[in-house]
Amino acid sequence: MTGMSRGERLFGIINYSIMLLLIAAMIYPFWYLAMASLSDPKLTALGGLYLLPKGFTWDAYITVLGDTSFWSGFRVSIVVTILGSLIGTFLTAATAYAISKNRLQGRMAVSFLILFTMLFSGGLVPNYLLLKELGMLDTLWALIIPGTLSAFHIFVMRSFFVGLPEEVEEAAKIDGANDLTVFFRIVLPLSKAVLATIGLFMAVAYWNDFFSTILYITDKEKWQLQAVLRNLIDQAVQSSSNGPNGDQIHVSAFTVRSASILLATLPILLVYPFLQKHFVKGAMIGSIKG
Amino acid sequence: MARSAISAANRWKYMKRDKYLYLLMLPGLFLIFLFKYVPMYGIVIAFKDYNILLGVFDSPWVGLDQFERLFRTPDFIQIFRNTFLISLYKLVFGFPAPIILALLLNELRNGFFKRFTQSVLYLPHFLSWVIFTGIIVAFLNPVDGVVNYVLSAAGMKTVNFMIIPEYFRTLLVSTHIYKEMGWGTIIYLAAMSGVNPDLYEAARVDGANKFRQMWHVTLPSIRSVILILMILDLGSILEAGFMQVFLLYNPLVYDVGDIIDTYVYRVGIQSANYSLATAAGLFKSVISLALIYTANKIVQKSGQNGLW
Repeated sequence: MTGMSRGERLFGIINYSIMLLLIAAMIYPFWYLAMASLSDPKLTALGGLYLLPKGFTWDAYITVLGDTSFWSGFRVSIVVTILGSLIGTFLTAATAYAISKNRLQGRMAVSFLILFTMLFSGGLVPNYLLLKELGMLDTLWALIIPGTLSAFHIFVMRSFFVGLPEEVEEAAKIDGANDLTVFFRIVLPLSKAVLATIGLFMAVAYWNDFFSTILYITDKEKWQLQAVLRNLIDQAVQSSSNGPNGDQIHVSAFTVRSASILLATLPILLVYPFLQKHFVKGAMIGSIKG
Repeated sequence: MARSAISAANRWKYMKRDKYLYLLMLPGLFLIFLFKYVPMYGIVIAFKDYNILLGVFDSPWVGLDQFERLFRTPDFIQIFRNTFLISLYKLVFGFPAPIILALLLNELRNGFFKRFTQSVLYLPHFLSWVIFTGIIVAFLNPVDGVVNYVLSAAGMKTVNFMIIPEYFRTLLVSTHIYKEMGWGTIIYLAAMSGVNPDLYEAARVDGANKFRQMWHVTLPSIRSVILILMILDLGSILEAGFMQVFLLYNPLVYDVGDIIDTYVYRVGIQSANYSLATAAGLFKSVISLALIYTANKIVQKSGQNGLW
């Protein structure tokens, strides 16, 4: 505080103002959606800033939460997210642990094969045809399995394992433990933080996944929430061009759209504090070296 | 020679010793083989006339016919141009954004406010593109969107932003920056936290104001980070942001917004023109591979750790 020149104080004021503006720009869309979703559809036809709801009704939420496709999408996304990130985190850790050991024969070759998948891929059509050949189209496995492993996650985890102290593992080995016991009993418990980081990143990716449904799923009961949501938004946009006419259930495309976007964001907002605790670490490990 | 002979003799012994490590990586490697390498084999259909009844293996070879067809498609040049331009604009305007933002965040002295600001700025990165584009479309809606509400309140004409080609790339670039600039600061902020505070003190004693301190102390200290990220971004110049375009575009803006990835999806999956779409995808993958390889070589030449 001492010795701040006038220029520095001015800079500080401008800087804080810019940050406040940015914060407002980031938060306003959610505020807007929240207020719009609570508004009375009879009053929303001409738009507005929605600093407060126009009128007040929960009807949009009642409509969305009463929609079977919304719940079905929610269920599918929960199942896919939980299964996918559990399987994915475990397999990532197991693979990364093996290639983190210098003594492993063929380690360089395996690492290269994994790395190469980051640089080159078969592309959309061959992937689609493979899942078709495997009979996975229209199954939840199509939403889970192809995305479980990413080279990036494996390398992040490997660089963490490389940094673990060798002594603990050596001690266990002397006590007669084999590599499996060491991995499950010692390495995994020591790695909770990095496992949580990778697991959360995977969970967010699975939760946000939309395109797998578009590619692989036709049966509407197996649509992920994001696909259901997109459908809802699309319909809402189309009918809103006629202008909402407040009918007996007191919802409009506009309010329903706002409510469903907000509801689908909710899970991300709920895990965000946990995510935040870990993601800076995750982003940093990843950036150090692949 | 002697060394390799010994290691060859011992190799089996070592592999037996580490059998559980191989067991641990087996399921992962199997999935990588099945879902990454088998599709790479599937690329052969770019050189075939894929017939769904014959399958990948038995479909007849046609050499480079699919590529010829692709390059003779009048739209393809335009699509390639769109891909390149959208990506280039994102780089030119989107690359400096997190650096500037990180410089400003770095100057915040109030720890709580700084952390709060960061948390808020990182949030959009975690929103799905469906949600994010849903918000964009809601805001720009010609009837009840907030942007047009403000325009008409200011006495201006309302605009249907989503269907006007002139606005489409701007829309892509600006919303991309909005979503990712906060997240992009993480790496720069970490690099900035390593700058020796004495340097700032010395600069102040020499009469440097905030901007001069940023220019002469902070920026030079993070130069290598900037360089690496810049080169790697150049390497992925054909990644124009598939999900974003896919969710925002419509036939009225194909001329400026259709990119290779969306073309591959429409031709390959929707029209079941498997071979042609695979050829288009391969064309992109090969260029991308060459670019990333070159970018990494440049990073390594500059004395930094590259991607590998």
